[in-house]
Amino acid sequence: MSQSSGSAGVKRREFLKVLGAASAVTTTIGCSQEKVEQLIPYLVSPDQTVPGVSTYYSTTCRECAAGCGVVAEVRDGRAIKLEGNPEHPVNRGALCARGQSALQGLYNPDRYRQPMVREGGKLVATTWDKAIALLTQKVAEVRAKGQGQQVVFIDEHASGTFGVFLDQWLGAVGFPAHDQYDSSADLALRAANVASYGVAMPGIDMAAASLVVSLGADFLDGRDASVPMQLAFADARAKLQHAPRFVYIGPRRSLTGLNADEWIACTPGSEDVIARALLGAVGGAGGATVAEAASASGVTEATLQRLADDLRTARPSLVLSGVSTPNAGVVATLAADINKAAGNVGVTVKPGEPMGGYGGAVGAQRMADIAGAANAGNVALLFVRGANPAYDTPKAVKFAEAMAKVPFKISFSSYPDETSELCDLVLPDDHSLESWGDAEAKPGVISLQQPVMERIFDTRATADVLLQLAQGDPAIAGRFPWKTYRDFLVSRFPGGAAAFTQALATGMANGSIAPRTAVAKPVAATAAPAAIAGDGDYFLVVYPHAVLGTGAGANKPWLQELPDPVSKVLWQSWIEIHPLTARKLGVASGDHVTVQTAAGSISAPAFTYLGIRQDTVAVALGQGHTAYGRYAKDLGINALDALGATWNGAGALALTQSKAKVSKAGTRSDLVTTEGSARQHGRGIAQAITVADLVAGRFKEEGHAFPGDANHEFLPGLRSPVAADAQGDLADPTSKDQGQYDPKHWSGMAKRRWAMTIDLARCTGCSACVTACYAENNIPTVGARWQGRALRPGSASDDSAWDTRPGANILKGREMSWLRIERYFEGGEDGTSDFEARFVPMMCQHCGNAPCEPVCPVYATYHAPDGLNVQVYNRCVGTRYCSNGCPYKVRYYNWHGYGEKERRQYAFPEPLHLQLNPDVTVRGKGVMEKCSFCVQRIREAENLAKLEGRELKPDEFTTACAQACPSKAIVFGDAADENWSVAKLAKDARGYHVFEELSTYTAVVYLKRVNHPAGGAN
Amino acid sequence: MTSRRKWALIPAFFAIATAATLLSAYSGASSSQGFAPVQPIAFPHPVHVQTLGMNCLYCHYSANKSPDPGLPAVGTCMGCHTVVGPNRPAMDGKPARVSEPLKTLQTLAPPGQADKWKTIPWVRVHKLPEYVRFPHMRHVSAGVTCQSCHGPVQEMAQVAQTASLNMGWCVNCHVKGYKLSDGLLAAGDTVGARAAANVEPKKARYDCAICHY
Repeated sequence: MSQSSGSAGVKRREFLKVLGAASAVTTTIGCSQEKVEQLIPYLVSPDQTVPGVSTYYSTTCRECAAGCGVVAEVRDGRAIKLEGNPEHPVNRGALCARGQSALQGLYNPDRYRQPMVREGGKLVATTWDKAIALLTQKVAEVRAKGQGQQVVFIDEHASGTFGVFLDQWLGAVGFPAHDQYDSSADLALRAANVASYGVAMPGIDMAAASLVVSLGADFLDGRDASVPMQLAFADARAKLQHAPRFVYIGPRRSLTGLNADEWIACTPGSEDVIARALLGAVGGAGGATVAEAASASGVTEATLQRLADDLRTARPSLVLSGVSTPNAGVVATLAADINKAAGNVGVTVKPGEPMGGYGGAVGAQRMADIAGAANAGNVALLFVRGANPAYDTPKAVKFAEAMAKVPFKISFSSYPDETSELCDLVLPDDHSLESWGDAEAKPGVISLQQPVMERIFDTRATADVLLQLAQGDPAIAGRFPWKTYRDFLVSRFPGGAAAFTQALATGMANGSIAPRTAVAKPVAATAAPAAIAGDGDYFLVVYPHAVLGTGAGANKPWLQELPDPVSKVLWQSWIEIHPLTARKLGVASGDHVTVQTAAGSISAPAFTYLGIRQDTVAVALGQGHTAYGRYAKDLGINALDALGATWNGAGALALTQSKAKVSKAGTRSDLVTTEGSARQHGRGIAQAITVADLVAGRFKEEGHAFPGDANHEFLPGLRSPVAADAQGDLADPTSKDQGQYDPKHWSGMAKRRWAMTIDLARCTGCSACVTACYAENNIPTVGARWQGRALRPGSASDDSAWDTRPGANILKGREMSWLRIERYFEGGEDGTSDFEARFVPMMCQHCGNAPCEPVCPVYATYHAPDGLNVQVYNRCVGTRYCSNGCPYKVRYYNWHGYGEKERRQYAFPEPLHLQLNPDVTVRGKGVMEKCSFCVQRIREAENLAKLEGRELKPDEFTTACAQACPSKAIVFGDAADENWSVAKLAKDARGYHVFEELSTYTAVVYLKRVNHPAGGAN
Repeated sequence: MTSRRKWALIPAFFAIATAATLLSAYSGASSSQGFAPVQPIAFPHPVHVQTLGMNCLYCHYSANKSPDPGLPAVGTCMGCHTVVGPNRPAMDGKPARVSEPLKTLQTLAPPGQADKWKTIPWVRVHKLPEYVRFPHMRHVSAGVTCQSCHGPVQEMAQVAQTASLNMGWCVNCHVKGYKLSDGLLAAGDTVGARAAANVEPKKARYDCAICHY
């Protein structure tokens, strides 16, 4: 620097003087005492717990009817993480995103914190004594008036003993048996399965099949037996060249459809004709020719003929049904007939090994009947538990209006949902993680549910409330001798109390749960399924959201923040429309589109999607809540508003039931999406090879513009010159200290190289890993209305000063998902030909030669000797240079201090903060954060090994994403040690590094997906 | 220096002072060394450790198996102090006198009435910032004496923070190594310290991600 610059402004000496004086001031002010904290000891130490060390309890997930086994990690009395129980027959250690999010149901800030009673038109807090007294009085009144048969109890659908207990109580007080309502269950499929196979859900062995055909069966979209089906699918796909080819038939390509090798886009409602033609092809009496099927379905005859031929020759095969049209039962029966004719029963479809717990549910038609009875004044008392019919039945049912006609309504809901807000008395139930229960894992295996922690609010288990009620009535008290519901469970448990206690360790026991004696009333089957009719040029397909389901998941921020696996849209509703149709209507992505049916109209931003027929639009359920807590309320639209009361023959709502008029609405709102581009642009991020190439040993990716070198060796403690400079004295050749990068360093650190393999042949894009990562690493959700940036200076309570669009941060690309699933399309550029979808879990690649490291001015990111690319939050000053340098875009900047309680954007409102992992720093504002390869788990395992005086055992622990993965696609471990699985998998011929041409020497090896094109080897 | 320039320096002075203050507060660079708060019960470590010969792990029961050292439950105190009340002769052989701390303890936790016990709101003395992981058990099982970091607690009538607990202080030990003889000396074990005089210093990893994640 030249001398002249000093004369213009402050001279160097003056600058130093100021600096010196400033430091003096700092020293005086900076030494003030930090906030004084208190340490509160236990009164009496609980047995078998050590402070700071987790305790694990086996229990059962109750987020859907599948009944997966989970292990709850409890630290200092609070559940902090749910993981699949590896021993459990249903889920074998995996857990889906909804299962992970049970914790946010437990710690939901909007839960009822005590019983509520309606006074002066509003629900106000009351005490349990008063609430139970009121309930006792109302029950007595109804019985005195002889209206016992006019009582309705709507329970959630779940297997287990509670239903038996509930019927026992209802019978004792003279009320009819309860209804188990499940708005998302495919009742038509279950009814057809019972008729055809004798069981509601037969076991499925996809790996044994050589061709799998799905007639609209969305088994990877979080429906019904989601985890076991995904395990079956991934295990089948892992057979690579011996894996079944998978064909998906349906008007919309769901996540399941995107995982198929071929998509046959048929007209909604034409699946039955196609099924008949296929049945004819395998030698059954189908009664339809391929030509008829082609003309009915809008699919070319050649395509259907090829499918029919494949099905005829491929033995064994597997045909699954899951359409949502009024004729769903017909299609499901035909699918079963095809399986029978093709000899698949007992081979790929196993009625002898059924899945448990899928019988006995009722659908929305029963809710309509109840609403009808209520309108006629024939419902005297209504109980609702775990169900939300005021939200998830179509407007035509008018359930909410009917509820107003019921004199007294009782809710056992834990959450202020649309139904409980209409009730007169709310007796909040314990969460499943706070209470006792059981489920049927599979016939012959009981899965136990136990409280894993003390309840956090003044709630009570419904069963215990009913027990108290029964014991207060001298006439029936003798029939309810149990002190608690647990005693009731033990009294029925095979082997009694001792066996029960023993079984709690694994959460499972052999034995059967006695079925309910009073079964659900059979639904009167309509003579002929209604045809898909209505004014309009477009079919309307409505489907349950892959993570929000039919709406139950909407109050959990992890699920709202989880991009829909297909559209990648979050915190929002969208309408899927084909790009060519959109062009015809003059609609661009984000423009609002109005869908008008006879039942009503809905309007939402358009998402142009190749995977939908040009004559069809599709909308997901799950949003559009008018209550249900801060995260669910006033977000998106409820697609049920466009549906009428059309049933599918088994009592469930036909979600695809009518045609619609589609028009441009005139407004627009930007799509809240995490998608950058749907195309790879020759970058080779998600690579795939065909079966033919796999068999021939040709592993190079076609069309990848920049071939790189995949043979990056996993050197122990792979050293990066920059990293070494950052920490050791490698830069100084005279120094004796080579730092920890010296392979002979005494610490032994340099012998490890933590690494990961991700098998894209297994990955289905389900995104369970993403939620597992949020749960493990205290990642804030940032899409809620109040989390947007400030538009001008203003107080935190003044909404006008803030960007309050839902997902405002995500619109600016500020989501925090350390792990994301990228979804790319290949082919189909013309909009009409078939295309392929590829999913890539993308997280920090822990490069051995990381572009982020040299640009950090404060060495906040550097390379650890065990191969980790480390981010030191307390060093980071937030320049964001590293994020600019990162070719994978996996570094996330904490823009608004989501972990700081006093901020408007705080992501963990009480009591959500109780879930935070104490082993991971909650990051503050202005800090860069990213995937750490779950370094806290590495340290925990190392600490344990050290305490036990041993070395780490191969595959001893794994990361949260790998643990949760329902496809078992992710494997983590030490790639420098041959004994770890990851070391072997990393050498697979399908392996590649993303952007390996950049010589980043990443620690993540992806194994190429294997495609099975039509007519391919099999 | 012209007067105009002089005046221009005043805002600069404040700007730098403010920035530095914020930075130092944010980074946690300030230390609470010497912090010795008054506790709700004047718990005498010297009586328990020196007079009675109790091991640290009797009360801080998880220091050798958990990241958290463990704080004695009220029940642990009352295990002895149900019998050893405020009016018993002191253990030092001097004439009987009333013990005020024990009176406070038994007010909070009346002997024999466990359902009426209240917890003791101890004031925290040693605290690391929340972005630091300090696994106690790794240090204890490596033979680091409690006094190496916490100072001669056995002599403290009122516990004070002896070490700075700053990062430089931690790293210094990790790099240079922990001398067992120094640790034993701090614990008052002069015989053991002499015997351990030739034990090699035990080094530890000083990679950032050992403590920061």
